[in-house]
Amino acid sequence: MRIAKLVLLGILILCISGSPQDTKLTALQILEKVDETVNAPKDKDAKIKLTIVDRKGRKEEREMIMLQKGSNKRLVKFTSPAEYKGIGFLSLPKEVMYLYLPAFGKTRRIASHVKNTKFAGTDFTYEDMEAKNYSESWVPEFLRMEENQYVLLLKPKPETKTQYSKMIMWVRSENFYPSKVELYDKGERLYKIVTMGKVEKVGNYWISKELQMEDLKEGRKSIMETIEIKLDSNLSDELFTERYLMR
Amino acid sequence: MKRVFTLFILFFFTSLIFAEEPEKGLKWSGYLQIDHRFFTRSGEFSFKEYRLDLQSEYKTSENSKFFSDIWVRSLGFQSVKTSSDLFSKNKISPVDFEIREAYLDIYGFLTKNLDLRIGRQRIAWGTADKINPTDNINPDDFEDIWDMGRHLGSDGIKATYYLRNFTIQGVFVPNFTPAVLPLPQWSSVLIPPYQIMELGKDYRLRNVNDRIIMPENNIEDNMIAGLKISTNIAGYDFSLSYLYGRDDLPVLNYLRIENITFAKEVDVVANLIYPRMKVLGADFSGSIGSIGIWGEAGFFFPEEVKLKTSYLGLYTIESTSLSDSPYLKYTVGMDYTFKNGIYLNTQFVHGFVHERGRKDLEDYLTMQLEWKLFHDKLKLIPISGALEYKDKRNYAIIYYPSIEYKPFENTLLVIGLRIIDEKGYTSFGRLKDMDEFFVKAKYSF
Repeated sequence: MRIAKLVLLGILILCISGSPQDTKLTALQILEKVDETVNAPKDKDAKIKLTIVDRKGRKEEREMIMLQKGSNKRLVKFTSPAEYKGIGFLSLPKEVMYLYLPAFGKTRRIASHVKNTKFAGTDFTYEDMEAKNYSESWVPEFLRMEENQYVLLLKPKPETKTQYSKMIMWVRSENFYPSKVELYDKGERLYKIVTMGKVEKVGNYWISKELQMEDLKEGRKSIMETIEIKLDSNLSDELFTERYLMR
Repeated sequence: MKRVFTLFILFFFTSLIFAEEPEKGLKWSGYLQIDHRFFTRSGEFSFKEYRLDLQSEYKTSENSKFFSDIWVRSLGFQSVKTSSDLFSKNKISPVDFEIREAYLDIYGFLTKNLDLRIGRQRIAWGTADKINPTDNINPDDFEDIWDMGRHLGSDGIKATYYLRNFTIQGVFVPNFTPAVLPLPQWSSVLIPPYQIMELGKDYRLRNVNDRIIMPENNIEDNMIAGLKISTNIAGYDFSLSYLYGRDDLPVLNYLRIENITFAKEVDVVANLIYPRMKVLGADFSGSIGSIGIWGEAGFFFPEEVKLKTSYLGLYTIESTSLSDSPYLKYTVGMDYTFKNGIYLNTQFVHGFVHERGRKDLEDYLTMQLEWKLFHDKLKLIPISGALEYKDKRNYAIIYYPSIEYKPFENTLLVIGLRIIDEKGYTSFGRLKDMDEFFVKAKYSF
């Protein structure tokens, strides 16, 4: 009986030291809360300004609209500059993606080889532009607490097709909104850093209004600024179809 | 010049009409493209085009949109031959304009699942890359033969109905429009010289008078109608289509041979018609692993065309110019992006756009390898071209590497080379002495 109590105490100590101390949440629970927070609005309708800053500080700008419903439907359409205007991208569940190029007048399904290529000259790849539900595709492991932030290591599930070998994610403990994600390439080298800045409460939801993707290999960064955003405006499912992508 | 004037009047009034409600917003965009090509052997210009593309878009209501795409161009060269030509601006600096598309979209017409597009429009069927056996609604535009897959717009109506996982599209074009043939120096690729087999190859054509016989000017003879059903099954996009159309390239149905000289020269009078054709089509696209794949096939049911050949008015022989035996054209292709960003696209094509009848279909292999660098600012295309293969003794190779550079936002510069080599007798081999160097500049606005 005494031995059993000792074992129980030992397990308890292990649990306390090996998991987030304040909440006793597991890594998976934290990641699920991240998904719940990031994808909390039923839908988003945002106007975005995308600034690309190269190694020498030169800037290029793009503008686009981004619609999202739930955690797995996203539609992006460029509104400027002229050379990209009208190009559309639709991301659907089960890693289905379509691209619309106005010059061809038809949509094209994107094969997975395109996922790791850069999206319209930005530092975001097609995979980065997908709507995300991290806990569905990644296995989390709790690493440590760091200045009131959970630090998680994410490794892809066997069935997940990704260009990254792992991610390290910093999650604000007060609202479960990620503040930073390090993305590692297949050689386990740090490749990119995503920083979620200007996190504000809009209505009942936490929203990052400035998302920065820094490409460490290229010495460039792309900054997505949310100019306007509407939440929970009951976007129809029909918007997330090839029909709408071509409009 | 009248047409250019008409165009600007059209723009002027369009702007006035739409300016009444600026909050709805008439949006203009387009590009300016300058395209110059030179023959490498002689250094002479082979092609020259200044193209101003003007696109306008106007959201007429929540459920409708107007769109137009117009080209204003200076194509070709001055044609001054006499002093009187110097009074003609169109001969000194030829300009033309073309309404590529001008249509009204109506979304959710009668029922929320039905969209209509009315007016001049491009209806692009098929999943293959530029060489689409099922893309037969719009007439081919071969004006620039190296701009593969270019079509004219057609005046018609397209109705698209969305039903769960299916898309059903019906198309009706009341007026038949023939294809635009290549500029004269390139036309031999599509139109082989009249072959008068009975006279032998030694005979040379002195005068050719041909007459194009268009379909009767009624809806029954002109109309083109089609139906396409598309869906997605197991991660693949599929579609089936049927087209009641008309061949947009003319077929010879009468030939009169006159005036055979001792120098073995003959005069020829020819009639050409556009026969009916029906096309049953199917296509798919998807991926195997991380490789993108697609395939497209058109099963053609042509109307038979008999050719009557009259020799000096002495006797007439009847033969078949186009058999009514069905034939199959198809394209299969794949693409892949390697980890270093190199993109490869290759297709096997059985039956090129201008080929008719089972016996005339040839095989082609197209390939393009692109390498985007400096975040799409520089694109190297070291491998691009096609192999036309009849047999070991008859084949042609077209090789056109190029470099694309974007020095500034919205600006594209292209330089490249086109080399054609051949053995034996092939369609593209007929252009073997026409290697070109080309430069192009494009600014989008």
